[in-house]
Amino acid sequence: MPDERFDVVIIGAGPAGSRTAAVAAANGFSVLVLEKRERIGYPVRCAEAVGPRIDVERFLELEDRLISSPVNGAIVFAPDGTKFKAKMPGVGFVIDRELFDQSLADIAGKNGAVVRTSSQVMGLIEEDGRIAGVKVKDLENDTDYTVGARIVVGADGIEAISPRWAGLRRAFGLDEIFSCAEFTVEGIELEPDGPFIEFHLGRRFAPGGYAWVFPKGPSSANVGVGVKPSMTNGKKAIDFLGDFLEHRCPGARVKRTIVGGCGAARELQSLATDGFLVVGEAANHNNPFSGGGIINALEAADIAGGVICEALGKNDTSAGRLSVYTKKWKKSVGRNNTLFYHAAEIFYRLEDAEMDRMIRRLTSTPGIIGEKGVKPLKMLLVLGAGNPKIMFKVIGALIKKR
Amino acid sequence: MRTEVNDKRSNEAAIDRELCIACGACTAVCPTEALIIVGISLEFFDSRCISCGVAQYACPVGALICPVSTG
Repeated sequence: MPDERFDVVIIGAGPAGSRTAAVAAANGFSVLVLEKRERIGYPVRCAEAVGPRIDVERFLELEDRLISSPVNGAIVFAPDGTKFKAKMPGVGFVIDRELFDQSLADIAGKNGAVVRTSSQVMGLIEEDGRIAGVKVKDLENDTDYTVGARIVVGADGIEAISPRWAGLRRAFGLDEIFSCAEFTVEGIELEPDGPFIEFHLGRRFAPGGYAWVFPKGPSSANVGVGVKPSMTNGKKAIDFLGDFLEHRCPGARVKRTIVGGCGAARELQSLATDGFLVVGEAANHNNPFSGGGIINALEAADIAGGVICEALGKNDTSAGRLSVYTKKWKKSVGRNNTLFYHAAEIFYRLEDAEMDRMIRRLTSTPGIIGEKGVKPLKMLLVLGAGNPKIMFKVIGALIKKR
Repeated sequence: MRTEVNDKRSNEAAIDRELCIACGACTAVCPTEALIIVGISLEFFDSRCISCGVAQYACPVGALICPVSTG
C-alpha cells in the first residue's frame, strides 16, 4: 500500500508540470506536483525568450513583473557579419523565468494542486504491468515514501529520467542536443531602435547552433551560445561563449552564468503508456531549430491535461486511451516540430559560406519585411530560389522522412 | 521500466564540483542513467557506467571526465 494516494502525480514543477497540474486540479482531481529543487524556477536554465503576448496569455497573465524586456524584432548575423534586420513590433518578450515558473506553480496551487519542493522521485511503482505511482525521497528530511497515482506525468525536463523508466525514450545522441552556456551581462551596447533579439550564425561561435543576444534591459542582455557537441571537436560551450563575448561585448560585466542542455531531437513515437504520460522538454517538445520550449510545453500541458481529465472521468488510464494525447500533439505543434527538426538538420550543417549567401540574399531582396514584420512565405521563396540545392534537400527530407 | 536510483557509489573524481552546476546536459546523453540530478547536485552511479565517454562531450563547461574505456 502506498503512503499516500492522488489521482495525478506530476514529476517536475516547470511550465509543463505546473500547467498540467493546473488543468487537472481545476477539473476537481487530486494532484500532487513533486519538484526536486528547493525553490521553483531556480536556478534558471533558460535564455528566457517567449513569443507574443497573445500566445503567452492563453496560459497566464503576462504581468509587468514577469517581463524583463519587450522584443520588437530580430537581427540575424551571417558568419561574415552581414546583418539581416527585421523590425517586428510586439513579436515577443524576454521574461524573468524564475518568477514565470513560480507564477505557473501558484496557479496550480490555487486550483487545488499540492506542490512539494525538495522532493525527488527515485523510481516508478509498477503494478500489473502499468505504472501506478512513484517512490519519493524528501531531500530536506532524508526520508522515503511512496505515492499511488491513477496517472503519473513525467515533466522532468532536459534531465528527464521518468520517461526512460517508462520505456518511452532513450538518451540523446550528441547530435540531438544543444550544449549551451549563457551569461547575463551588464554594459552591452544594443541596437538603438529595438529591442531586438540577435542570432549569430557560423562555426566560429556556434557550430551546429547559434549564438544569441536576448535583451534584458537598456544595457543588459542574456548572451549565450548553443552548440552541437557532435560538431565541436571537444571544445566546450563555455569556451565558445568566451570567444563570442570578446567579439560582441568585450567590456560587459558578467552578472549571472547559466549553462545547460537543450533538446534538438525529433518527436517521440509515443507520449504515453499505461498510467503514464510525458510532457514538455522531457518529451522533446521544444522546437529543435530554435530550442524554444516554454510555449510548446504549456501547449502540450493543455492537451495532456484535457486527455488526463477525460481518462480519469472514464476510469480508463490505459495506453490506448492516453494515446489520444499523442495524436492531438502530433496534429498540432508536433507537426511543426517535425518540420523544424528536418530544417535544423540541414541548416546547421551548412558551411559558413552558404549561410553568408543566404543572409546576403535576404538583405538584398526588397519586400521581405512588410509593415507587420517578416513575410515568411516570401522569405522561403527567396531562399529557395537562391539556394536550389538546399531547397531540394529540404523537400527530399520532408517527403522521405515524415 | 528498468532501473531506479538506488545503488549509489562514489566516484567523485569524475566530476569537477567547482565547475559543475548540475545543469543536466550530461544526464540527457548518458545512455545508462549513470548520471542523475538529485536535488540540485549531479550524482554519479559508477556501477551503471559503461565508460562510453559520451557525457563529457555534452557538458557545457568541461566539468566531467568520463572514465573512458580503453579496451
